[in-house]
Amino acid sequence: MQVELSDADLARNIANGSPEAEAAEAELCRRMWPRIRLYGMRHLRSEDAAEDLAQHVLVLAIEALRAGRLLDPEKLAPFVLGISKMTMVDQRRHSSRRERLLEIFGPGLKPAAAEPSPRIDGDKLTRCVAALKERERSVVMLTFYEEASGTDAAASLGLSEANVRVIRHRALHSLRTCMGAGA
Amino acid sequence: MGASNARCSHPIEPAVLLDYWMRTIDGVTIESVEAHLFACDDCGNRLRQIEALVEALRELAQSGAVKVVVDSRYAQRALDAGRKVREYAPPPGGTVQCTVSADDDLLIGRLAADLSGAERVDVAFCTMTGVELQRLVDVPFDARAGAIAYQESITFAKGAPSNTLLVRLLAIEPQGNERLIGDFTFNHTRTIPGPPAWE
Repeated sequence: MQVELSDADLARNIANGSPEAEAAEAELCRRMWPRIRLYGMRHLRSEDAAEDLAQHVLVLAIEALRAGRLLDPEKLAPFVLGISKMTMVDQRRHSSRRERLLEIFGPGLKPAAAEPSPRIDGDKLTRCVAALKERERSVVMLTFYEEASGTDAAASLGLSEANVRVIRHRALHSLRTCMGAGA
Repeated sequence: MGASNARCSHPIEPAVLLDYWMRTIDGVTIESVEAHLFACDDCGNRLRQIEALVEALRELAQSGAVKVVVDSRYAQRALDAGRKVREYAPPPGGTVQCTVSADDDLLIGRLAADLSGAERVDVAFCTMTGVELQRLVDVPFDARAGAIAYQESITFAKGAPSNTLLVRLLAIEPQGNERLIGDFTFNHTRTIPGPPAWE
């Protein structure tokens, strides 16, 4: 049985340049790629930009780990989160350095076996949306039509901001249950 | 924290994950959510489910295929975004001739009425003989707007044969009595080539 290394073990193996370092770097990419990508999707709302961010952050993280700049290996996750945040801020200013690093490390940072995105049954979703109460359906459709908070549109339907939030939560709960995702 | 494919012992509430994704939470909560997500694939996977659901809902909303009450500026925002919108606003008690073409994106009906004093409003879709086909129960509305706008499913409209639809706005009194606020007749002529999806 293969025991999965802890984040701290990965960080140590990379920093030590041990014979396991290469495998540790690959495992780091496999483990962190989806987390950085998700962070990128939340902030950038673009698949390409999120993948670009993940690649860039992993380059910087591996470079920093090799150089021993992570003092506490137990803090690998917050360390990568910190790099993600900084990268978001510095992305434009350091574009030339970023391109140089990507040339050195190559495009192979994305794990080959990256998990596919969850699939949503569109027909079933349509039926579940049709089963919502009218207010819920209006709030959900107006919110997601423009991917906004929906509060402006909902205000002109006579709904308060707090009301919109409650209705949206209730609707999403109903939809997830209807879709079989649980509550 | 180590590799974290295991079940999370302190999972983030789905409502918080949704608010995080929708950007409707404060900075302090964002910090704690992101710190957790970078160390917990279980919650990350649940956020990915929400991400997928939100994306599917966005596609569905933009498809124009959902019959739903919308706000009064919805049609204009869609036009501003480059969508092809067909909007009909029959006068109360009146009739409008309407159709839909193959390249239309959205179809909106605007029902002008005095909504003051109404606490609950239903929208009933009827045949010309008064047989009720469908009802939207307790729709959201702003009494000051003086109208209720709804989006008809563009998919439904494109498949429909020529027909006449009577739409009734009904105020539902606290005792359950119905009061007619207005009725509107949509006389739809099919202009898309080919047979309708049903007769």
